[in-house]
Amino acid sequence: MKVSLIWTSPRPEKTIAVAMRRCYSTKPIEEIESELEQKGAEYWKYLLGKAMQDKSLDVLEHFTMTLLVEGAGETEVGNLVRGFPYLRATQLKDSDWLLSLNSRTLVELWRDPRGKGFAQLVVSELDGANVCPIFNEMAFGERIRAS
Amino acid sequence: MRWLSEREFVRVKLLYNTDLDALKRVLAQKGVAFDPEALMDHVVYMFEIEDCSRVTTHQLVRHRAVSYDQESQRFSAATREGVVTPASIQTNEAAYKAYDEALKTVYSAYEKMVAAGVPKEDARYILPSAIKTKLVMTLNARNLMHLVWQRTALQAQWEIRELASTLHSLAREATPELWAKIIER
Repeated sequence: MKVSLIWTSPRPEKTIAVAMRRCYSTKPIEEIESELEQKGAEYWKYLLGKAMQDKSLDVLEHFTMTLLVEGAGETEVGNLVRGFPYLRATQLKDSDWLLSLNSRTLVELWRDPRGKGFAQLVVSELDGANVCPIFNEMAFGERIRAS
Repeated sequence: MRWLSEREFVRVKLLYNTDLDALKRVLAQKGVAFDPEALMDHVVYMFEIEDCSRVTTHQLVRHRAVSYDQESQRFSAATREGVVTPASIQTNEAAYKAYDEALKTVYSAYEKMVAAGVPKEDARYILPSAIKTKLVMTLNARNLMHLVWQRTALQAQWEIRELASTLHSLAREATPELWAKIIER
């Protein structure tokens, strides 16, 4: 199975931070966004760490991505989709698929033996594209320590 | 990104959407024809919704397989100016008087309870559903289309109809090819 990243939502760590601040702030979005810009990536990392620690993974659902999966059989994809209903798959042709998911589902796939192999391929793509270095370190840190 | 619907209630801003062209390039590379129906699960929108009543967000969050993060009343103080008043009340003098009096009583009780040391999460039990709220919402085109179909229907309530039609306008403007087939109500 080959996984390639087609698209990810822009500035994932900041988007997750926006969702977290939305829950606890009465300010309009423009003010939350400029406050987050001012405080910078260290603060986004702090908020993300807090979400992971509190197991408030809902905020991760706003970081979304679409992948091209090549060389995957219907059974293989079917098993993933059945186990993880928020993972959406569309067969393009033969063994080629479009798959969309959010980063909460990615974390859940990573933590589940049924999804770990697929999650590793996705995380490696995210690493390669340097889309979300803070998120990858916080969510999949064991991979970094192990290598 | 600009705000749509600069009114007294319900303001919506599109924070991001999936790049449809990136998906179309992959389809072309694979020799697969563009089919809006096939891409509905893969095009995602994230919206900020503000100045919407909690009456309407109770209706909104009944749409599942959608991600929401909403301003919490557990920790943020409620403010009295932030309420949505339906036109049927606004335009009826006797009704508006009753509404306004009730709000004054409720907010006065809320403020007294908070001042007396009651946690906001408990004092909020008295707050009205008319209170304005803010939330972020992320969903794919399939779920958004279902929401638009149901909540722009004539039997839906005015505020969520306004919200659904604003969501529809923003999504259609961002990704027109995907929305070409939806039948306007």
